[in-house]
Amino acid sequence: MESKSFTTGNRDNPNTDLHGSKNMMASHFLRALFRIQQTSTSSSSFAGRSRRIRRAAYASMAYSAGARRAWSRALLRKLRSRARLRFPRRLSRTARPQRRDMDQAQVLRKLVPGGPSMDYCKLLEETADYIRCLTTQVRLMQTVMDSISSYAHHPMIP
Amino acid sequence: MQPSSKEMQGMAGGLAASAVAAHIALQELQNGGGADHDDFLDQMMSGLAPAWQMGLGGYDEASLLASRFRQHQAASGGSPPPTGKSMLLQLNHHHYAHHASPQQQLLLQSMGQPPAGGGGDSGGFLPPPLSLGSRGSGDSGLLFDRSREEVDAPFKSSDSTTEKKPSFSAKNSPFYSSKEAEALYNGFEESLQRAAQAPNQHQHFHYPQNHRGAPPAAAGKGQVPAAASGSPSTGGGAVPPRPRVRARRGQATDPHSIAERLRRERIAERMKALQELVPNANTTDKASMLDEIIDYVKFLQLQVLSMSRLGGAAAVAPLVADMSSEVFLVSVQKAIVAIDHCHDDRTEDCTWWQAGAGRGGADGAAANDGLTAAEHQVAKLLEEDMGSAMQYLQGKGLCLMPISLASAISSATCHPRPPIPGSLSQLNRRTAPSPHAAGDAPSSPSMSALTVQSTNGGGDADVSRPSRCKD
Repeated sequence: MESKSFTTGNRDNPNTDLHGSKNMMASHFLRALFRIQQTSTSSSSFAGRSRRIRRAAYASMAYSAGARRAWSRALLRKLRSRARLRFPRRLSRTARPQRRDMDQAQVLRKLVPGGPSMDYCKLLEETADYIRCLTTQVRLMQTVMDSISSYAHHPMIP
Repeated sequence: MQPSSKEMQGMAGGLAASAVAAHIALQELQNGGGADHDDFLDQMMSGLAPAWQMGLGGYDEASLLASRFRQHQAASGGSPPPTGKSMLLQLNHHHYAHHASPQQQLLLQSMGQPPAGGGGDSGGFLPPPLSLGSRGSGDSGLLFDRSREEVDAPFKSSDSTTEKKPSFSAKNSPFYSSKEAEALYNGFEESLQRAAQAPNQHQHFHYPQNHRGAPPAAAGKGQVPAAASGSPSTGGGAVPPRPRVRARRGQATDPHSIAERLRRERIAERMKALQELVPNANTTDKASMLDEIIDYVKFLQLQVLSMSRLGGAAAVAPLVADMSSEVFLVSVQKAIVAIDHCHDDRTEDCTWWQAGAGRGGADGAAANDGLTAAEHQVAKLLEEDMGSAMQYLQGKGLCLMPISLASAISSATCHPRPPIPGSLSQLNRRTAPSPHAAGDAPSSPSMSALTVQSTNGGGDADVSRPSRCKD
């Protein structure tokens, strides 16, 4: 199993590879962000902008994982088809107690892109990689927010 | 008969000499390797012959034995050494089986009694002189832990796979009246084995007694631990680890179950990897582990959503319009590198959010008193729909961001700034909110703290975020 991990605690993970993929994700995401910021006007809706940002986030995730992973391929397909990027994100309406093993696998399949076409074993593997990539993306976004906000209050002195 | 000390000594001396010769031969054997097998045996024969002559006078039998042995060797010619050794042992066996009583007599004679001088009694000369010599030559370091059966049985069953000790006691136990005697004999045998053939084949012959003392033990140490570790299994017919897929007892060996087992092992591996990724995954139960995984994936996706909404709200022109593009990119990349070090364990704790005052002109207006009501309102809204909560906040000139973000903002880029202390209030869905504004740092005046528990996170009440240092 090729385990490309973004977390520093992972054992099979050379640091060089870590930074490479992270940098790729970061640069892609930042470029997309900047594009969004440039094309957004004061009249653009908040919802539209946030959707675009979210799409950019998932796109950079998929590009950083490349075609190596089933979930990234499925995600790229979804993005390219310009379909509405939807994920099940019901906050608290799902009936949790009824979940059994079969249902759990089903639920996981719905969450992970490309899930429905995988067997259970592969699903677990893809989930692991998906989680790693998601955490990296979230960190990246947080960093971006950090920098943006810091600049807002404290312009950088070169 | 009474043992006479002189005879004993004489015999012991002769035997000691033979034993010394045996030792020397053993050492040579170890050094020389298998090619010297014949020479070694010749040496042994020659070395022992005088002892026999001197001590026991039963030379005829000894020479008979030696000649028989050589015949066997000649017959087998280039046969592998184990054959030679097995022959040796078989001869011994033969002698044991058929000359048990004479041998016993012989031993008794050699041990404590004057030699009988009889010809017919000196069967099995090859082993006894060696064993007897142990007393005189200080080979007593070789302790004999187990009976001879262990030695003989493997030979007899030639590469047998059993490590059990068959019950030879009926035949041989009367012969073993001295532990040291056996030890030397065993050592002799084992050195023969080791020298003459690859160690692998005899891994299941282990002589723990050879761990200590004599030179034979030196060569045996490398082999014996391997053997000992490889052969502790009990039960009959334990297979040495040759087959790759080892069928356990009670499991079918047909390909279906093997594939099934492999699949289950793979799934277990992946679950373990997932367990490492997901924080607070202390459950070993598979179902609850899956639940955790699902929740964590949902949480992460929600986080991405919230961050994008935050970005959408914050990417209002005033925020980024001040920067040029290069500065923006460069700074963010620097931040990314910096963020790696101290952001390892943050993401999973980002259940705590903090609303900070945005830029929308609400810098000074984010008064503390106005926050309490807003907090409640936001909390209520967040339970239903995050979008409306964000919009509500935006209308107030506030924005919602994770606590870590806020603390990082206050301590961003290594500037010596007092970080936001842990005095962030918590708004718990279940408990009464404790409103508190953390407008602490004079350097971030527009920051007021409003913490709201994320709807999807863990349920603990008191997480007060440590400030994050971005060095």
